[in-house]
Amino acid sequence: MADVRKGSNFDHRRFVVGLSRGIAGALLFALPMFLTMEMWELGFYIDRSRLFLLLSVNVPLLIVLAHRIGFERTSTWREAFRDAAIAYFLGILSSAAILVAIGVLRFGQAATEVAGTIALQAVPASIGALLARSQLGQRPHDEDEKCSPADTTYVGELFMMAVGALFLSLNVAPTEEMILLSYKMTPWHAIAVVLASIALMHGFVYALSFSGGHGMEKGTPGWHAFVRFTLPGYMVAFLVSVYCLWTFHRFDDVDLVEAAITAVVLGFPSAIGAASARLIL
Amino acid sequence: MNAQSKQRSIDKGDPHWIEWLTGVVSMAFVLALIGWIGWDAIGPRDTAPELSVRILGTSAEGAGYHVRFEIANAAKATAAGVVVRGEIRDGGRTLETIEMTLDYVPMKSTAQGGLIFTSDPEGRSVRVSAVGYSDP
Repeated sequence: MADVRKGSNFDHRRFVVGLSRGIAGALLFALPMFLTMEMWELGFYIDRSRLFLLLSVNVPLLIVLAHRIGFERTSTWREAFRDAAIAYFLGILSSAAILVAIGVLRFGQAATEVAGTIALQAVPASIGALLARSQLGQRPHDEDEKCSPADTTYVGELFMMAVGALFLSLNVAPTEEMILLSYKMTPWHAIAVVLASIALMHGFVYALSFSGGHGMEKGTPGWHAFVRFTLPGYMVAFLVSVYCLWTFHRFDDVDLVEAAITAVVLGFPSAIGAASARLIL
Repeated sequence: MNAQSKQRSIDKGDPHWIEWLTGVVSMAFVLALIGWIGWDAIGPRDTAPELSVRILGTSAEGAGYHVRFEIANAAKATAAGVVVRGEIRDGGRTLETIEMTLDYVPMKSTAQGGLIFTSDPEGRSVRVSAVGYSDP
């Protein structure tokens, strides 16, 4: 498939369709964030070193994600690198375009505000641009054998869960509702949410028989999957929530228990995101 | 999504030891999280927040005089919509009064803000206090 794009055989139409799909994906996945007030404000005041860290973490994340899915079926890391760069660029492009279109960014604003707002939104948008290939594109038949979930490594599984968790986390982490909920909830509520998140994660992947769901080899006790996948998945989802909340300044000057309850609240969508990543990606 | 391309995948029955290690670590993590929050749950709670204000410093910036303050909540109850009132007094006379609202002062936490006065607080007494809140 790779030589189709070489030299005079370069398929312009396919390339343009690929780029458009990327933009479509960026919009589909990041539109809720473009339309969230807290995300615009965060772009103004987010600590620049935390923003820098988020933007840097996004680079290896996109490359590894591109290696697994991506615009084109990538076989080498070089191609993954190229696809990640394109996705990041499309993310920046679409977030700039949307933020200007909805009037959040205007001429005459300070350059650092504009850069901060676009950069922040570019992170979810770029992930969306990459996922677009997997979710919006048609799958070639040969992909099934090459990318059958059976050859997914354990670390690969955990990585995909982290991406799914990050995705849903980024959607809701900046909203005020996350901290407000943690103030309204008692610790008992929080414990119930932890248990519910874990139960839902396990149910999504193993029990409810969605297409793309997972089963265990015959003769393996059910709790094996629970210990090996669901619990680590929840830990990954929880840590991703902690990272998102810290990035968005939700932990500043806050008591540790209160911070943990906020992370549990965000851990709920994160866990759902992690579980669905195992089904979809 | 193409339904045919998404078969149920089978997780291997003979896992690598690292999977068990991760599983055990995660279980310890989840139990610790539940235990920690549970320990907090059985501890005492306060019915009302306990707010105290500390003035961090005064500086002349732009059109006004900024008085930065930190408000601490020592109780185990979160205060929302905390109204902070600042006064500049010269002798027995109040020169200027400003009110502002902080969104939240969570339990056992602090929040910071600033009041902008038009009169110079230098050599006068500045009083900043919390005058009201709502339950979240």
